[in-house]
Amino acid sequence: MAKKVIYEVRNASKNYGAVVALDGASLKLHAGEVVGLVGDNGAGKSTLVKVLSGAHSPDGGEIFLEGEPVVWANPREALEAGIETLYQDSGLAQHLTVSQNVFLGREKFVKGIFGKLGFLAKKQMEEEAQADLEAVGIAFPSSNRPVSQLSGGQRQAVAIGRAVSWARKVLILDEPTNHLGARQSAEVLEVIKRAKAKGLGVIFISHTLPHVLAVTDRIVVLRLGQIVRDAPTSEFTADSLIGTITGSYVKEEK
Amino acid sequence: MSNSKQVEVEKQSFLDQVRASFSNQSTLLVVTLVVLGVVFQITSQGIFLSTGTLGTVLNDWGSYILLAVAQTFVVITGGIDLSVGATVSLSSVVAGWVLVKGLGLDSTTSGSDATPYVLLAVLVSLLVGLTVGAINAFLINVLKIVPFIATLATMGAMTGLAIIISGGMPLQGPNNWELGIPYEIFGIQLPISTTVLAVMIITVICGLILHKTKFGLHTFALGSNAFATRAAGISPARQITKVYMLSGGLAGLAGAYAYIRLGAGSPSNGTGMELYAIAAVVIGGVSLMGGVGRIVGIALGTLVLFTVQSGLLMVKVITVSPSLKQVIVALLIVAAVAIQALQKPARK
Repeated sequence: MAKKVIYEVRNASKNYGAVVALDGASLKLHAGEVVGLVGDNGAGKSTLVKVLSGAHSPDGGEIFLEGEPVVWANPREALEAGIETLYQDSGLAQHLTVSQNVFLGREKFVKGIFGKLGFLAKKQMEEEAQADLEAVGIAFPSSNRPVSQLSGGQRQAVAIGRAVSWARKVLILDEPTNHLGARQSAEVLEVIKRAKAKGLGVIFISHTLPHVLAVTDRIVVLRLGQIVRDAPTSEFTADSLIGTITGSYVKEEK
Repeated sequence: MSNSKQVEVEKQSFLDQVRASFSNQSTLLVVTLVVLGVVFQITSQGIFLSTGTLGTVLNDWGSYILLAVAQTFVVITGGIDLSVGATVSLSSVVAGWVLVKGLGLDSTTSGSDATPYVLLAVLVSLLVGLTVGAINAFLINVLKIVPFIATLATMGAMTGLAIIISGGMPLQGPNNWELGIPYEIFGIQLPISTTVLAVMIITVICGLILHKTKFGLHTFALGSNAFATRAAGISPARQITKVYMLSGGLAGLAGAYAYIRLGAGSPSNGTGMELYAIAAVVIGGVSLMGGVGRIVGIALGTLVLFTVQSGLLMVKVITVSPSLKQVIVALLIVAAVAIQALQKPARK
């Protein structure tokens, strides 16, 4: 693959007390590539996501963005660098409207002195949120409705639309199809393909292996904090993927 | 799809619309105020509705509204600030101490001569309040103490400090009493004084901050979903610091209001005020779970609370003792919470 490496983590390790959550995990992500990150519960997927998104700093290892070493002190720094993360079940602020959620932390202000004082450009954000969600092709509800009035599928759509529309380099989706019906899941997979076409590097974490096999270019399997397999999706079948995750194929690896 | 939704809304029956408008806390409170006005007018045998009563109600309202507004910001983040009453006591006492012990003044300085000193008292009270707020934020953010316990501790400490500084006695200082006297225009007495007007303006500014600015939005976001707020790159600790300092600052200004009202800094100025502030917040429709609340509702809720307080004093049909008054106010709070709980399914 001639595409450039956009995001890379080398030898990441992370302990929570005596629990080793990550044990020297390395991962490369290219621009315009979808990498599936799979593993059993407790394999270290969520920890790796938190390290990549800046929510946790690793105890050891290095992170490179477009070849440059980076250290994230908090999620904001990663966000500002163009790395967008949709956390599993982090959800949205349900008392806020769709547009308030889309623009949360990146608000637009009215012009002039009132803008300097922090007054929000509500109308502008509503219109832009509507346009942004339309652009990523998500069936969206009206952007001035509170999120609490939306169905579970609509909420997830808004959360994904928010992440995709803001991402500039890397998009990390932790279980985005969880709790979604078949049609909505298919929509999410379409959105992932569109993000890939935009040239984003996408990390897709899921327990739903058919989704992973359908949409990824490469699959990385985590087990007990270590990466046990990193290969093009075409080398996996549904059965071999399950075997690699659970460990029954471990002897056959290089 | 959005078109069919709009049609649905238009097809809502009249009954649905009435119910929808009643689920709006502010409408409910305005109706409550009208009903209270009528009931008290009858039971007081026609003396309740007057400019004098309204002046009294608004004066009491002014004592508490800043604390209710302070509490609103805090409760919307999902926290609580029990230290606001103690902050009123402490800030008024420190202001009195600065003027009486520090500058050697006493109550013989009055009228417009005292105005600069009153402004100094306001400034000192504000600084004391901000400091208490910063201490609360430190306890919550750095020592990771839950807001209820953190502010309970500062409440106790500040109450004690106010007694130590004042020696347990009110510090009578300079005061411009005219600030608290209702305006008169063309011989007609209005129910509003300079202090009440100042408090109203501060309330409006706080309303704009809460509902129109980024600071307000992040306050709601934090109370609604702290995890999502942090994931959006907002620092919860920084927001908590700002909110508790705002709460402390407003409590300090309420301390200045108490000083101007009494012409003295007294360690009992704020005793028990936190309970009324929390009551006003609940009556005003702020969810104690966080994420929900409007300043208009708080302003009206506080007005309901003190209309009841003043009205009960004028009832002539039966004698309402102060103890019975407390029971009635407690029932009012229970009713407000019950109404909130009943409204929830309707909103979904």
